Amino acid sequence: MALAIESPLTDDRPAPGTAGPAAVAKDGDEVPGGRSRVMTVVGHLTLALLGVACIFPIYWMYATSLRRPDDVYNTSVLPWPLSVKSYSTALDQLDLARLLLNTTWVALLTAIGQLLTSVLAAYAFAVWNFRGKKLLYLAFVGTWLVPFQVTMLPNYVLLHNLGLLNSLSGVIVPNLVSALGVLMLRQHFDSFPKELLEAARMDGRSSWSTLWTVVVPNLRAPLAALTILLFVNAWNEYFWPAMVLQRGNLVLQLGINSFINSVETEEWGPLTAAAGLATLPIFALYLALQRHVINGFVRSGLR
Amino acid sequence: MFVEIAPPTLAEAAAATAAEATATRRRSVRGISRLLGRGVVPYLYLAPALGLLVVWIYRPLVETAQYSFYSWNLSPTTPAIPVGWHNFHRVFTLPEVGDSVLRTVLMIGLLLPFTIVIPIVVGLLSREVRGRARTVYQALIFAPFLVAPVASAAVWEWILTPGSGVLNRATGLKINWLHERVPALLSITGIVGWQMLGFAVLVVAAGLASINGDYAEAASVDGASRWQATRWLTLPLLSPTLVFLLLTTVLLAGTWTFPLIDTLTQGGPVSATTNIYYLLWNYGFKSFDAGLAAAAGVVFFAAFTGVAMVLVWLSDRLAFHDN
Repeated sequence: MALAIESPLTDDRPAPGTAGPAAVAKDGDEVPGGRSRVMTVVGHLTLALLGVACIFPIYWMYATSLRRPDDVYNTSVLPWPLSVKSYSTALDQLDLARLLLNTTWVALLTAIGQLLTSVLAAYAFAVWNFRGKKLLYLAFVGTWLVPFQVTMLPNYVLLHNLGLLNSLSGVIVPNLVSALGVLMLRQHFDSFPKELLEAARMDGRSSWSTLWTVVVPNLRAPLAALTILLFVNAWNEYFWPAMVLQRGNLVLQLGINSFINSVETEEWGPLTAAAGLATLPIFALYLALQRHVINGFVRSGLR
Repeated sequence: MFVEIAPPTLAEAAAATAAEATATRRRSVRGISRLLGRGVVPYLYLAPALGLLVVWIYRPLVETAQYSFYSWNLSPTTPAIPVGWHNFHRVFTLPEVGDSVLRTVLMIGLLLPFTIVIPIVVGLLSREVRGRARTVYQALIFAPFLVAPVASAAVWEWILTPGSGVLNRATGLKINWLHERVPALLSITGIVGWQMLGFAVLVVAAGLASINGDYAEAASVDGASRWQATRWLTLPLLSPTLVFLLLTTVLLAGTWTFPLIDTLTQGGPVSATTNIYYLLWNYGFKSFDAGLAAAAGVVFFAAFTGVAMVLVWLSDRLAFHDN
């Protein structure tokens, strides 16, 4: 919401003249038929129950990891007394610093690369009419029809020929384009006020400088949301790194997975500690930027 | 374009005219290059993304289509033998292919409550709740989406462990969730549904936010009841969002379930959780039957294209558009 106040353009509604800011803020909040106290109570109850059910497995992961090794099978809701023994066991076997550094690097470069190619492509689709536009757009949508298992083998062979197997670049390079990014950004670029683009053109700005000085600064909220989404996806990616990095577990998901497979299956303490550690950076990032993620999404009006 | 208003002195006016003349000339040169360039510019912006798509998605797709006519075991030293349509014949006659298709359809069906029904309920109920509580609920429901599949596999394996897992102990059930056929299928779809629910809720929230509030006001003025307004106004206006969610569920269910199947059940017990994606993986990297894997991949690609086209066509026919 703060972003919307900073720059009215982050709001995608193209005609601010026809609806006052109050009406815009109320959009979608308006309950047809008015509010009733009964429905409010039902809403609170249902959502609270569902929320607890959704968060419970995550809570249970951290609760188990913080119990003393003897208490792991205890089902008391609060893990007491606390102990970090499971974490030290997990950390003894995981080179966490190196895994974190590698994974951050891979996820960051992947997300930035996808963002860059998506911005350029979405800009082309939103601003120009050109031959083959529909077909080329379909080429992006169509990537959802191609299962990973179909492209995996030829891509593996190509990486082998390029000498990129067992390198972090091998994980990044094939993932530098995101259909979701192009689709989502196109929605935003399409609803960008055309008068502003026209004004920039009248000022003699090239399309390139219009993109970076007019369009991008005004769409910070959805761009931030998309960046976080892409970063999380790249961070959680498991199968492609597993294929490319067969020598050594260079990224977090692989390290955690091999740790999980190496410990005795009954050692739930260290196991949940490792899983919790792999998730912690993403939760921290999300909590720090939560407002942007939700707003960017909700405002995208994905249709 | 570049001409500024000239101050009213003669000398400067003359200079301005001269400048204007060169500017005009420059402009005409620019005009020509722009005419030439105009056609090229959008393609230049598209080039990086398209280039990557061609190299990493469509080239492999074509290569896979080529593999499908060969018998090859993936080893660089053994030659691939052309076998014509034999691999396709196997795809359509092997019973395990048909079974895995059925299981895939079943998994998609079991996922739809999580990606469509519950998100609608959550979206509608969220409008009754205001302020901080709403943000907290949304965050709680969204959180599982952030958990990596590897981590969620570990946690759920612990929760579902028959003897000591918290689910059986809390409910008093004695189900071996991951090693019996029906429970295993339910577990896999349940875990994936748990992860994807947050994403779907967010998409529905976006859809609801984009519905113009004037309609609701008009409905209230006309004396429509809450249920009438929801049934005849909100849901139809939300239909493009719902079609989008249906399409993503159908197309991406395989991608979502795959890591959990691989880490938790490996397609078992007795292939009870082997869907088409896991079957492709098995053919390619366990039986090393690259030709069969490729043929199955091509068939599934064609089938999904068909399904997607039907869904898009349906949404165009049925969707109730705002404008």
